[in-house]
Amino acid sequence: MEAAAIHALLTEKLGDAVLDVIDSFEKGSVIAAGSIAEACRLLRDEPALHFDQLMCLTGVDWDGYDESGKGKSVDILGYDELGRPEKSDRVGEGDLGVYYACYSSRHGHKYTLAVRVPRDAAQIPTVSGVWATAAWHEREAYDLVGMTFSGHPDLRRILLEDGWVGHPLRKDYVMPDQWQGVPLQGQDYAKNPFSEDDVVLPARPGQEG
Amino acid sequence: MSETKVTRGWADQDKPRTMHSELLEINMGPQHPATHGVLRLLVKTDGEIVHSVTPYLGYLHRCAEKIAEGCDWRQWMVYTDRFDYLAPMNMNFGYAVAVENMLGVEVPERAEHIRVICAELQRIASHLIAVGTFGLDMGAWTPLLYCFREREEILNIFERLSGGRMLYNYFDVGGVRFDAYDGFEADVLRMVNVMEQKLVEYNTLLSYNKIFIERTADVGVIDVDTCHQYGCTGPVLRGAGTPFDCRKDDPYSIYDRFEFDVPYGTGEQGTVGDCWDRYMVRVRECFESCRIIRQAVAAMPGGDVMSPDLKKLVKVPAGSLYTRTESSKGEIGFHIFADGGSKPFRNKVRSPSYSNLHVIEKVGPGMMVSDLVATVGSLDIVLGEIDR
Repeated sequence: MEAAAIHALLTEKLGDAVLDVIDSFEKGSVIAAGSIAEACRLLRDEPALHFDQLMCLTGVDWDGYDESGKGKSVDILGYDELGRPEKSDRVGEGDLGVYYACYSSRHGHKYTLAVRVPRDAAQIPTVSGVWATAAWHEREAYDLVGMTFSGHPDLRRILLEDGWVGHPLRKDYVMPDQWQGVPLQGQDYAKNPFSEDDVVLPARPGQEG
Repeated sequence: MSETKVTRGWADQDKPRTMHSELLEINMGPQHPATHGVLRLLVKTDGEIVHSVTPYLGYLHRCAEKIAEGCDWRQWMVYTDRFDYLAPMNMNFGYAVAVENMLGVEVPERAEHIRVICAELQRIASHLIAVGTFGLDMGAWTPLLYCFREREEILNIFERLSGGRMLYNYFDVGGVRFDAYDGFEADVLRMVNVMEQKLVEYNTLLSYNKIFIERTADVGVIDVDTCHQYGCTGPVLRGAGTPFDCRKDDPYSIYDRFEFDVPYGTGEQGTVGDCWDRYMVRVRECFESCRIIRQAVAAMPGGDVMSPDLKKLVKVPAGSLYTRTESSKGEIGFHIFADGGSKPFRNKVRSPSYSNLHVIEKVGPGMMVSDLVATVGSLDIVLGEIDR
């Protein structure tokens, strides 16, 4: 089924809940946040669509996105060369979004749904009841982007430790100096315990060697 | 002589109690050979039966997706190596294809052929580890050593090609970094010839070994519906009896030119979708990879290996796209959000092992603890790409 036909079918069934069409490299629809679970269920259960697989669920922080397409997002965000927020007191203001990339193994077509919610009301219904795989992807989106999924059976952090402060993939995230007494960056982190001089260690724990 | 009454607790009851004991919590990992990396499975057991499995991830988390915001498009390639450190070529391939799809750039023919050869060699190398360590999980030491011997030959080729033995950073957006060395084709063909004979030996050594079959057939059955529900791809999905392969069903690069079959589980030794089926799919895929390599070597043209109309600092047009390719573990997807600049706005990685591991929560309960080891081994997870 063509993307335009899928969009028309969704509009027919869901009415005002279909807000916009995604006409980028990928094709899809923007859905009102409250109706996303309903829309996903429709995608899966409608025989002509039969999207039985959720390939990917992506949480995005749209803060500072350069809508003009000129690629000035990094300048807007004020990141330094290493991609770190230079001004720690910068307050994020953009929306948060979630993308659902679906695939139908029967018909072989793909479709993308998206939602966009304001930063201070980052809560959307879970779709883990539609595709079980969403449960872990939503946990990841909660962990790294800070999107809350209402009705999720087990919404805990998945990649970071319980009790971690902040959500790293938010554009205004500032890496903490230490976590539970362990220095994560700064002078203490880079200090060579065997030398008086401060030397940046060549190996970080996350580099696997 | 008076009769002494034996008191055994449950024996004194009027009615026989069902044999339930107190739930016991066992930590499998984080430092345990059967978890294939730093993964912790919190297993609640009822005697010898698994009651629930809860994976705890994140021991290798580096937040490569955050690092992407500070790299330009080409620089991030080096981080894709580190996702699946047993199949870095496949990871590079996925990211290169994803960016090229958005750029709309034409990759030179020679580069495409080198890429396919590398990706298939890497698939064999990765499957050799999967097969060898799975045998190790089942108590078979010897196949692992043979598997590593053959993998070594592949690594030698890669070392001559890229300079690295584990992390290659060889693919680039628009082509590959260096041209193949003189004699590359001959090396590859020699490797393939040896490999096809050795695979037959592995079959006699491990695949059709009676003890191995007893341990893996009918164990850890994952059916097709569960696979779709939990997003399982790759050998897990094919082991369940569905011949789905991104190379065939959602072709990228030049895979549509080659003739190869997609092996899938048939329940040859037990039930469709058991551990043996998943294992055997990997062995058979090695044969198919050899077929693809032979065709790619035969058709390899000369010419450039890097797209000439691409600047050093690429700028991806604004928009978003999810691109998937077939790695050795399954579907590796990159969901890329670009703002038109030289740096990614958001790069999301959908790693196959992440979804493949998730299914253990569903199939784990009810099986024996020793079968849990077999099932985790047959999923062939790599923690580098789960934690990213």
